Amino acid sequence: MSYKRSRATFEADLTAQQSPYVFFGTPLPPRDPEVRDDGSYVPIWKQEVRDERGRKRLHGAFTGGFSAGYFNTVGSKEGWTPSTFVSSRTNRHKDTPKAVQQRPEDFMDEEDLADAEEAKKIQTNAAFAGLGSTANDATRASGLMGLFRPQGETMGVKLLKKMGWREGQGIGPKVRRKARLELQNDATAQTETFLFAPENVPMIAFVKKTDRKGLGYAGESGLTPIGRSAGSKKGSHGDTDDEDEDDYGALGRPKLTIGGGRKKETSQIRGGIGIGILNDTGSDDEDPYEVGPKISYNRVIGGDKKKKKATIAANPTLQAKPKFITKKAASSILGKVGLGVRKCHDGRLPLDGFVFGKESDALTTEINSEGKYPPPQIPPGWVSSRTPKPESAGGSPANYVSTADVAKASTLDPKARAALLGEKQLPGKSVFDFISPASRDRLAAVTGRSDLPQALGEVPAAYARSEAEKQQELLDRVPKLDKETAIAAISRGIGGGAPYAEDEEKRARYRGYLEVQAGFRPQLPPKPAKLTDEEWLREFHEFFNCARIFKPMTGFMASRFTTSSSTKSSASTTGDTKEVVSRPPPKPEDPAEEAARLGMFGTMTRSVTDFYPTRLLCKRFGVKPPAHVQPDNYDATSGKKKDDVWSQFQSYGYQGGGGPGTVERELLGLEFGSTGGGGGSTAMADLERGGEAQKPAAVVLDTSRNEALEGKRPGDEVFKAIFGDSDDDE
Amino acid sequence: MDVYDNNTFNGNDDFPRKILSQLLGSNGPVHAVTYSASPGTYILTGSADRSIRLYNPIPASPSSSTTTTTTLSTSFITKPSQAPSTTPPQGRLIQTYTSHGYEVLSLSVSSSNATFASSGGDRAVFLWDVSTATTIRRFSNQGHTTGRINSVIFAGVDDSLLISGGHDTTVRIWDVRSQSSSRPVQVLGDAKDGITSLAVSPGGAEVLAGSVDGRVRTYDVRMGRLVTDVFPGAVTSLCLARDGKTVLVGSLDSKIRLMDRSNGQCLRTYGGDGNANGDAAGGWTNKEIRVQSVLGGGERWVVAGDENGAENSNGEGRVWAWDLLTGKLVAKLGVPWGPGGGKVVVGRDGKEKERKNVVSCVAWKDGGFGNQFCVGGTSGVVTVYGEA
Repeated sequence: MSYKRSRATFEADLTAQQSPYVFFGTPLPPRDPEVRDDGSYVPIWKQEVRDERGRKRLHGAFTGGFSAGYFNTVGSKEGWTPSTFVSSRTNRHKDTPKAVQQRPEDFMDEEDLADAEEAKKIQTNAAFAGLGSTANDATRASGLMGLFRPQGETMGVKLLKKMGWREGQGIGPKVRRKARLELQNDATAQTETFLFAPENVPMIAFVKKTDRKGLGYAGESGLTPIGRSAGSKKGSHGDTDDEDEDDYGALGRPKLTIGGGRKKETSQIRGGIGIGILNDTGSDDEDPYEVGPKISYNRVIGGDKKKKKATIAANPTLQAKPKFITKKAASSILGKVGLGVRKCHDGRLPLDGFVFGKESDALTTEINSEGKYPPPQIPPGWVSSRTPKPESAGGSPANYVSTADVAKASTLDPKARAALLGEKQLPGKSVFDFISPASRDRLAAVTGRSDLPQALGEVPAAYARSEAEKQQELLDRVPKLDKETAIAAISRGIGGGAPYAEDEEKRARYRGYLEVQAGFRPQLPPKPAKLTDEEWLREFHEFFNCARIFKPMTGFMASRFTTSSSTKSSASTTGDTKEVVSRPPPKPEDPAEEAARLGMFGTMTRSVTDFYPTRLLCKRFGVKPPAHVQPDNYDATSGKKKDDVWSQFQSYGYQGGGGPGTVERELLGLEFGSTGGGGGSTAMADLERGGEAQKPAAVVLDTSRNEALEGKRPGDEVFKAIFGDSDDDE
Repeated sequence: MDVYDNNTFNGNDDFPRKILSQLLGSNGPVHAVTYSASPGTYILTGSADRSIRLYNPIPASPSSSTTTTTTLSTSFITKPSQAPSTTPPQGRLIQTYTSHGYEVLSLSVSSSNATFASSGGDRAVFLWDVSTATTIRRFSNQGHTTGRINSVIFAGVDDSLLISGGHDTTVRIWDVRSQSSSRPVQVLGDAKDGITSLAVSPGGAEVLAGSVDGRVRTYDVRMGRLVTDVFPGAVTSLCLARDGKTVLVGSLDSKIRLMDRSNGQCLRTYGGDGNANGDAAGGWTNKEIRVQSVLGGGERWVVAGDENGAENSNGEGRVWAWDLLTGKLVAKLGVPWGPGGGKVVVGRDGKEKERKNVVSCVAWKDGGFGNQFCVGGTSGVVTVYGEA
C-alpha cells in the first residue's frame, strides 16, 4: 500500500529538485526556505500572505484565530502591555543588548510613506531652472533673462547680506550720529551718539516728462479712466499696456523711484454687476451683496461739508468709488513719505522730482564739499524786502515764549507786581496771613511750591481770645480719666511699676495728670516751657492711654482675677528700673516643710496615710496583710488596679462608722505626739488598734456583691414615683 | 590644724584611718560601692564606665608597701607631697561584670552572696549571678519609664524582692522568685520627685524611700501605713540602724540627721554650718550632689563623703566622720586621687581644670559593724580604709 510521503520528506529533497543541473558540489539552498521559486505546489496551509514590508497579513479566522490580535497589531500574545518600568539603577540602559528601536516609519501607513518618499526627491533649485520651466509665470515673463540671472536676490545682494547689510540700509561704513527719535522734541537735546547704518540712498529715477504742463502740475484730479486706480499719478499719462513691463527696468530690475514711483493701490471694486463674494478684496467694511444706491450718506451731523460735496461731485457711474484726495494730501501720501515731510518755506511741498538741497545724504555732501555747486553769492548790500516784523509772534518760532511760560518764569508775587505797577495795596489780606505756619508748610508740601508767602498766623479780631480763655480751652481738651482708674494707676505707680521711669520730668507730669484726674489736685501743673500746646496736649492723651490700662476690673471679671501684690519698699527708689513689675505671691507654705526648715522634726513633719500593699508583697515580706487590705480582693497580677479602686473607695470616705479617718488620725497623732513625746506613738498605735478593733464589722466588704445594686429591691411605690407618669402615657 | 591630723585628733579612738588599699580599674567615676554580705570580704563597685567590679580589698602581698610609715593615712594639708611617694597597695580585681549600657548607680548584694542586683542609667534592674558574671534577670517590663534608677535594694524573706527607685518618681517592687511574671509586684507612686535612696528595715517589713521632694516615705507593709517625714532639702541618703529604730538621713541642706523613726523626731544633726555643739565641724557642706552617708564602727560613727574636694589639693577628696552620740567631728580624712593622677584634665577654656574628687559613695564593712570602710568618687579609685 502506497502512502503519501510526508511533507518533510518532500521538502527534504526539494533542493535537489530545484537545482537539477548541479553536477558538482552542493547546490545552494533556496534563498528563502519558505519561498518557492520553482512554482511548485504549496499547500494552502503553508501559504502566507505578506504585505510589501514582509509583515504577515491575513490571519485571524483563516489562519487560526487567536493570533489576529497578536501578529498584526500589538506586540504580545496577551495583548498590548505597557512597557514596564525598568530601574536604570540596576539595569543600565547601555547594558541592555539592543533596545528595540522604533522608527517613524513603523507608524506610517502607505500614504505617509509615499509622502516621505516624495519629500526625499532631489530637484534643482527653482531659481536656476529658468529654461523650460513653467513653474511660475513670473519667471517665464522674464524670458531669456532667467537663464543668466537667478530669480530673486542677486548675488550682490546675497554678498551684501552676508557682509551684514540689511534691506533698507544704505551701503557703507556705519555712521556715528545721534538717534533720531521722532518722539523727542528738540528741547531735550540728546548728546549720546550711536553707530548707525548709513541711510539708504534711494535710486534716482527720472520721470520722463512727456507733456507740456508746468513743473509739478498734477493735472486735473479725478476723472481717471476706468480700471486705473484712482489718484494714481500715472493714470494721467502712461500706457495701460506697458504697465506690467514698467515694473521692471531694462534688465528686469525693479525700479526704485522717488516720490513719483507708483504705489500700487488695491483698487476698490464695488458694486459691479456680477461681482460676488469671489471678488472680495478682503476688507471687512464692505459688503459685496450690499443692495441699494451707492450713496454714501453722511453719518456725522455737522461734519465737514467739503468732503460731502466732493463725494457728491464724483461720478457715481464709476466702478471705483472715487476718492477725493486733495492735492496736498496726495502728494504727501504718495511722494514724501520716505523723505520725511518737509515743506518749502511757503508751506508747500517741493515739486515732484525735486528734493531739498539741504538733504544731508552722502551724495550732496560730496558735491558740496567739492565746491562744484557753491551757493550763489549774496550781493553785497542786498537787503531783503521781506524783513520779518519784530512784534509778530509767529515770525520767529524759536524766540516765541508763551504767556504762561513768562508767568512761570516770573519771580514776582502779586504784591511785587502791584508795586511794579504802582497799584495800591488791596485792603484785604491773604489767606496766608491767617493760617498757621504749620498749615502753610503743609500746603507747601502738597503743592510742591516753596515760594508761598509766609504764614503770619493772625487771628481776626472777632475770634481773638484772651490768654486765659486759650488756656481754658486747652485744658478742656485734656482727656478725662475715671477717678478709679486714676487712683489705680497712681497706686500702680507707687509700686515701682510706673511708666516713664527713664524720664523723671515726664513721670512727674504723668503723676500730676493722674492726681488731677483723681481729684487729689485742683489743677494741672503748669505747662513746661519746652513743650508747645500741641505737644502738651498730645502728651496728655498719651498719659490717658497709659493710665487707662489700670482701669479696675468690675463685677464678673474682677472676681476672676486677683491683683498681684506689689512691694511698697521700692516706691521710694526712683531709678530702680530693674525692679520687676510684680512678683507672684509665694506659694502657700506647707506647714510641714516650714517645720522641717525650722528643725521642728516630729509630729509637725510627719504625716501618716494608709498604704495598701499587695498581697504578694505581704507574702514576700512574710507578713500578714494589713486588715484594710482585703485578702479576697487581691489579685496578684492585676493587684494594682484593684488596689487603686480600693484606695479610691477609701478616699471617698468609706472608712466604716467607727474608725477615724486619715485626717482624724493624723490630728489625733499630732495631739498625742505633742503631749506624750516618744510615747505618743504607742498611744497612737493603741488608738489605731482600737479603731481597727471597732472597724471589722464595717470594713469587711464583699466586693463580689454590691449592696447598692443587688440589695433589696425597693418598693413598687418608689418606681411608681419615678416612672409612674411614663407608664401612664404608654 | 589638729582637726586634720588624724592621729592627734581623738587619737585614742579606733576609727579606721589607714588606707589599706586602693581599688583601681575603673575608667570613670565610681557611683556605688558595697561590701558583700556578712562577713563582707569583697567589695563591689559600680562605675560610670558601665561595669561592675568585684575586688578583694586586701592586697596580695600585704608586706610589700604597707611598711612605709605609720602616717600613711594622708594628712593632706600638712604633708601634701607625701601622697605620691607612698603609693598604697592595690586591691585585687576579681571579676568585672559588663552588661550595663549606661552608668551603674546602685548595687545591692543578696544575703546569700550568690547574687547581687545593680541598676543605673539603663532603665532596668539587673540581677547578677556572682560566679558566672551573667545576668539572671533583667527587670525592665513596665519598669521605670524614664530616667535613671538611682537605687536598688534587696528586700523580703530570703531576698525574694527587689526594690528599685529612680528618676521617674516611682518605687517599684519586683518579685525575684517568680520567673514568669516580669511585672512589678507593686508600684509606689507617692513621691513627687525622683527617688534617690532606699532602705529596708531588717525585720519590720518596712521600705524607706528618700526622694528629691524632701520626703522620706516609710511604707509599712505590715501595718499598711505610709509615714511621710518631711525634710528641708532633697533627701539623698538613707541608712538604717541595725535595730531599725533610727535612720540616718542625708539631705541637700548640708545636714545629716539621725531620726527617730517611731515619732519622726531628730535625734542628732551632723555637718552643716555649725551644729548644736558648736564645735569646728562646720565645714561639711552638701548642696548639690548626692553624697552617701552611713553608720559605721558598730554605729558609733557617722561617715559621709564630701562633694567638695580639699582646698588647693588638686584631686584630694575628703571623708568626714562624726561621733554618733555627741555629733562631734571625729575624723576628716583625705582621699587621694589615686594612681591616675598624672592625667591632666583640660577644660573647655584651655586651662587646666582643677580636679575635684567628689567622694559620693561610702560603704562600711559588714553593715556598719566591720572594721573597715571604703569610699569611691570621681577619681574612679575606691579607697579602702582600715584600722592602723
